[in-house]
Amino acid sequence: MRHILRISLWMLVCLSFVAVRAQDKVVTGKVTSSEDGAGLPGVSITVKGTTRGANSDVEGNYRISIPDNATLVFSFVGFSPLEEKVNGRSVINVQLIQDTKTLSEIVVTGFGSQIKRELTGNIAQVKGKDIENMPTPTVDAALQGKAAGVFINSGSGKLGQAVTVRVRGNSSISASSQPLYVVDGTPITTGDFGNYGGETNALADINPNDIESIEVLKDASAGAIYGARAANGVVLITTKRGKSGKTNISFNYQTGTAEAARRLPFLNSEEFISFYKQAAGYRDRLANIDPNDPDSFTQYIFGAGGFLEYYSYGTYGTPQQADVNWQEQAFQKAPMHQADLQLSGGNDKTRFFISGQYLDQTGTIIGNRLKRMSGRLNLDHQANNWLSIGLTMNLARTENQRLPDDNAFSNPLQMSALTPLTPFLDPTTGLPAGTPPGDINIPLYYNPIISINYAKFVATSIRNLTNGYLQANIFKGLKFRSEIGVDLLNQQEEGYFQSQTVRNQTRATNGIGSNYGTFVTNYNTNNFFAYDNSFGRHGISATLGMSYQQSQTKTNFIEGTQFPSDSYQRIASAATKSDGNSTETNFRFLSYFARANYKFADKYLLSASARIDGSSRFGANSRYSFFPAVSLGWVLSEENFLKNNTVISFLKARASYGGTGNSEIGNFPQLGLFTGDAGYAGSAGQRPSQIGNPDLRWETTYQTDFGIDFGFLNNRINGEIDYYLKNTSGLLLNVNIPATTGFLSQVRNVGKLENKGFEFVVNTQNFVGKFKWNTSFNWANNKNKVTDIQGQIIEGGIRNMNRVVEGQPIGVFYTVEYAGVNPDNGDALFYKNTTGTDGSVDRTTVTNAGYNSAQRVVVGNPNPKFIGGITNSFSYKGIDLSVFFNGVYGNQVNFYGVGQYSSANGIYEDNQTKDQLNAWTPENRNTDVPEARYLRGNGNQASSRYIFDGSYLRLRTATLSYTLPTSLVNRVKLDKVKLYVSGMNLATFTNYKGWDPEVSADSFTSNFAIGNDFYTPPQPRTILFGINIGL
Amino acid sequence: MNRLFKYSFLTAAALTLLSGCDQKLNVAPTQSIDDVAALSTSKDVEVTLIGCYDGIQDDDVYGGAFQYVSDLYGDAGEIRFGGTFANLLEIFDKQLTTANSTASVTWSDTYRAINRCNNVLSALDKVEEAKKARIEGEARFIRGSLYFELVRLYAKTWGDGDNAANAGVPLVLEPTRSVTDADYRKRNSVAEVYAQVLDDLTKAENLLPASNTIYATKNAAAGMLARVYLQQGNYASARDAANRVITSGRQRLVTPFSSLFYTFLRNGGANPAEYIFSTTVTAQDGSNSLNTYFGATVSTIPGTAGRGDFRILPAHRALYGAGDTRGEFFQVAANNTFTQKHLDRFGNVPIMRLAEMHLIRAEANFRLGTTVGAAPLADINAIRARAGATALTEVTIADILKERKLELAFEGHTLHDIKRLKGKVGALDYNSPRLIFPIPQREIDANKQLTQNVGY
Repeated sequence: MRHILRISLWMLVCLSFVAVRAQDKVVTGKVTSSEDGAGLPGVSITVKGTTRGANSDVEGNYRISIPDNATLVFSFVGFSPLEEKVNGRSVINVQLIQDTKTLSEIVVTGFGSQIKRELTGNIAQVKGKDIENMPTPTVDAALQGKAAGVFINSGSGKLGQAVTVRVRGNSSISASSQPLYVVDGTPITTGDFGNYGGETNALADINPNDIESIEVLKDASAGAIYGARAANGVVLITTKRGKSGKTNISFNYQTGTAEAARRLPFLNSEEFISFYKQAAGYRDRLANIDPNDPDSFTQYIFGAGGFLEYYSYGTYGTPQQADVNWQEQAFQKAPMHQADLQLSGGNDKTRFFISGQYLDQTGTIIGNRLKRMSGRLNLDHQANNWLSIGLTMNLARTENQRLPDDNAFSNPLQMSALTPLTPFLDPTTGLPAGTPPGDINIPLYYNPIISINYAKFVATSIRNLTNGYLQANIFKGLKFRSEIGVDLLNQQEEGYFQSQTVRNQTRATNGIGSNYGTFVTNYNTNNFFAYDNSFGRHGISATLGMSYQQSQTKTNFIEGTQFPSDSYQRIASAATKSDGNSTETNFRFLSYFARANYKFADKYLLSASARIDGSSRFGANSRYSFFPAVSLGWVLSEENFLKNNTVISFLKARASYGGTGNSEIGNFPQLGLFTGDAGYAGSAGQRPSQIGNPDLRWETTYQTDFGIDFGFLNNRINGEIDYYLKNTSGLLLNVNIPATTGFLSQVRNVGKLENKGFEFVVNTQNFVGKFKWNTSFNWANNKNKVTDIQGQIIEGGIRNMNRVVEGQPIGVFYTVEYAGVNPDNGDALFYKNTTGTDGSVDRTTVTNAGYNSAQRVVVGNPNPKFIGGITNSFSYKGIDLSVFFNGVYGNQVNFYGVGQYSSANGIYEDNQTKDQLNAWTPENRNTDVPEARYLRGNGNQASSRYIFDGSYLRLRTATLSYTLPTSLVNRVKLDKVKLYVSGMNLATFTNYKGWDPEVSADSFTSNFAIGNDFYTPPQPRTILFGINIGL
Repeated sequence: MNRLFKYSFLTAAALTLLSGCDQKLNVAPTQSIDDVAALSTSKDVEVTLIGCYDGIQDDDVYGGAFQYVSDLYGDAGEIRFGGTFANLLEIFDKQLTTANSTASVTWSDTYRAINRCNNVLSALDKVEEAKKARIEGEARFIRGSLYFELVRLYAKTWGDGDNAANAGVPLVLEPTRSVTDADYRKRNSVAEVYAQVLDDLTKAENLLPASNTIYATKNAAAGMLARVYLQQGNYASARDAANRVITSGRQRLVTPFSSLFYTFLRNGGANPAEYIFSTTVTAQDGSNSLNTYFGATVSTIPGTAGRGDFRILPAHRALYGAGDTRGEFFQVAANNTFTQKHLDRFGNVPIMRLAEMHLIRAEANFRLGTTVGAAPLADINAIRARAGATALTEVTIADILKERKLELAFEGHTLHDIKRLKGKVGALDYNSPRLIFPIPQREIDANKQLTQNVGY
């Protein structure tokens, strides 16, 4: 440490000799594109070797003051940089040549940036413009299919809910597997802060249109600088910044509608009647009762005063008999509006970016709506020749009218299970069935429409994300940067259930209101030195610094009942304050990091990085950990044997190895704890709540990555191929312990798992010239395998059907294997699958009574074998068309949520899917649908019967736009007018039986409980029209 | 100036970089405390005892599961199950899977409550002398009762073969602070578990005070002992324990029968004088899963709730005689009939009331040919008179058992009575493996020392 201090002092001494200023002169000129000669706005012009710079204006003109004998560097994204010696000239016009390589692009690396051609780690970059205006309120969902090896599952069509993001597979079992999100240098608060329905998504407060680029750090070399927090990958979000020159004003408005495309086939009234006649008839035969006996099952459903008469309001068997498609009532056509205004510009000293957005999106399921207003101000200021400062500030208000979780009777899609004979409206009151003053016990289950009409639960969050930085150029190549970031999340959730909802909210006899406050204050500071210089053929860059983060979450909650009337919905009017709560929790991270990059002759690249992380989440004995990484690159195309090759224009081989960690296990997992929440009848109580583990430490992932970056034919074909191997050890695992201890699990560092796979990215320019056609394609596979969990059995999901099994991918479906139907009697059959002493597997079958004796086996894998995306963009004169498909292949989805009730041999009175009409009867013996048996399990037990292939290919987005000719729009004093129409999820190709194969039921989702469908709302199909005006 | 600025800036920067903020990483939880410090004072132990009550009022413990499982599992044609919970349907159909969630959660939540009791019992030395006996008595009462419930649900019934050889449930009598090999326990025998139950309850009866507000009393322990002895067929001890409760005069039979229930809606949450032990439910805390399943929302009785899953069939209602108010204590809602015993959303969960003691004393006296406390006829007629049923002139054992069935219907006695009387549930014999819960699959998986019950 003292050593560093000494170096710093030495550096200071050096500084004193630098600041001799040369005389200035002014150079002006125009930058044009070599392709069409048009002026290029926003080109960065710097004086080589200094920090002085300017940007070209909208016409491409620039003006810069320079010292004598300077060299100007012109650089612009997408074009090859150009250097011009001034040589006394005062006007310098240049033409930039379009760079087809994309290799000169700058990639953000975390505490710095690097030119893509020099990268030795694996970082996927997604440009802000590739995801702009997508009708997904959260940015994570917009990344789907855009970055190789990044698997995204939006889970459901509910707005603003959690999205599953897995970078190179799932690398944890009990700790979080979501990546770390860093916005402009600050690790932001993410995750779930909801108290109703499924998990919320704290990314909903970020306006995706503010984003300049997103970098996903995938390998250890890229991620190690984030040490203990990078094992699941790091998503770096960089927001847009102003450029000096003309002030650009851009206004965008889009509007459209969304709709959920698919429906499941359910029985209509006639089919319902005939199906349940079969089902009840079986039970009567079994019990040897005459179906006409009033005590028979048949009469229980069909007789006078029976099930159907009651639930049809007496219309069963009359001319008024109803035939309601209840499923349809859950869906709606959902309008969406979005308006964006962006202003950016500045001068030599100060640049700004200002934006505002208003978004109003209605869900495709009734009762769901999300509104967001956000504003941003990004400022950069050059205080003097060595000091610059800047500020980014984002303020957003997000209001989300939420839906209950999937496993709630009030989930609108559960209406599908209601009897088609129940009229939609109560004939007496004219109100939706079950609404008081009518009989509240009709329909069969609580009618979710009543909650839509008489209840609300609204989450409103105010989010402030502010970063300030200060950057000092100490001497040539060395700078110091200090960043401080504050992320304030202030969320209020207000719920009120009117008395009409009493069947669902049993305490709502006189209304029940709740109010939750959540306050998350998250501070972060990064302080680091960065050095970048070259000495002849040697190039060196280095980073050394520290960061500290502290986060505090406080919540409070109050609930009241007994309201004077439904006109009073604030808890002030509740006669009984029925519940209340307040909580606080904290975590902190203290980290030191260093990185050095070395290159020789633009050919040989070496990078090393390391981080020391300390966290409050771990015991004092194992509080700190060290995460190193090293990577190498070799640019073969710079070697003489390839240098003049006409086919291969760029070729680089790279390799990396390093360690990253995962500490997302919640706060205080290491402590043995008592909690004071065990009160009884008004007296305070405490209880043992957690069993301790003082040796608990990080979970560590070591990752190896081999990659090739290539460019052919002047880089018109370019791309990357990667192979990676991630080994995670010391898994933070909630280990099941005997419940006789009084605890269910203990967090231990147990076990290992691995992820390995290939990633393949290729971008091609199929046509250049007036008609352009570009294709970009990415494909990745990932093989996940749990290699060792020391014999632990860890299960979750619907009926615990997801399991972590050694030698298998995380979360495989582990259940009894369905063997179809006994053609002789209609019994469901299950394979025994027991292993004999000689190792042979018993493939004989058992029926319902023997279900327990059938061995559970691995019957499916919810993790996709491979994922990919392909974008084709065409442009011709102002017309642009972009078509983007994404696909997921080789995963299974558990349909048991719907299956156990609605494809279930009429075991309950739930409406059934039409496939049940093919149930076994003496006349229909060869079928895989068991005999209909009312109130008897016959094949609806948990089994492979409901595990379906979840592969799909989806036309994720298609956008057609027309940019009006400049000559035309200039006449009305505008720069740009673009009209567009775009669609999302226009078509889905899949064999999946449910509503949507991209599904993850919020009530059952955990790290390993994935691929479950439980009446889960599907993704919306959205069609939008928009206009973009620039002036 | 510029240079000075830079100089100080850089110094500041270097200092920021190097300054240790290691101590910042010492963050303590705010809602929880270290388990070592948690039991330091008398007050700490007292609040942990409250935690034991919190533990037993869990849905899957005495909050209802012990009671409704007995009635649903032991039912043959008097209840129709109509919900969508597969765990309950499996119990109703007497065809459990080893993953049955009731079997699994009842097991784990019960042991969680037992661990709380063990924490209390391990720290009695911290308790103020004046409170020591009561606190030990309460913890032993709860622990003993819980082991009794576990052993009769998860093991062969008392007397079905060799009690000393039949596997019971693991006995854990010390609090868990860490997990060692010793925590992977085998099942103790049925005899060992019963011995522990009797030891705990007998000590509890000696230690507990006669009155103790809503908490366990001497009578609660004696009443539970009466139940245990009855289950063992030890009629003399059962009779004497029941007699101790009755003669204490602490409880009395209340009239009318309907005033025994609706404790929240009609009685402000207070127990009727007949209750010996219950778990207390308030609008803020506690749960009543008897209400969840036996109850239903009845529009005409505000404050009622329930899923309406356990529907009472005419076959049951036909058992009551004319004038018997218990036979009228039913409610039609939707197209089904429900018992009124559990309609109250926040009703206290009755676990033991005086009527049961009269019934135990009557049965035991009858079988032993004694009249300790009262003649069997007098005990039975006391129950019948309160219900408005006609008085009997003489009783048989069948009369006593029928009276027991009607009086205590849907209060958790069905299955255990059938087992001790060696009766049948439908076609299944009292000792059918299908009438014994499986050891939860989760436990078998987590603890290789456990053996599964026959038939699973």
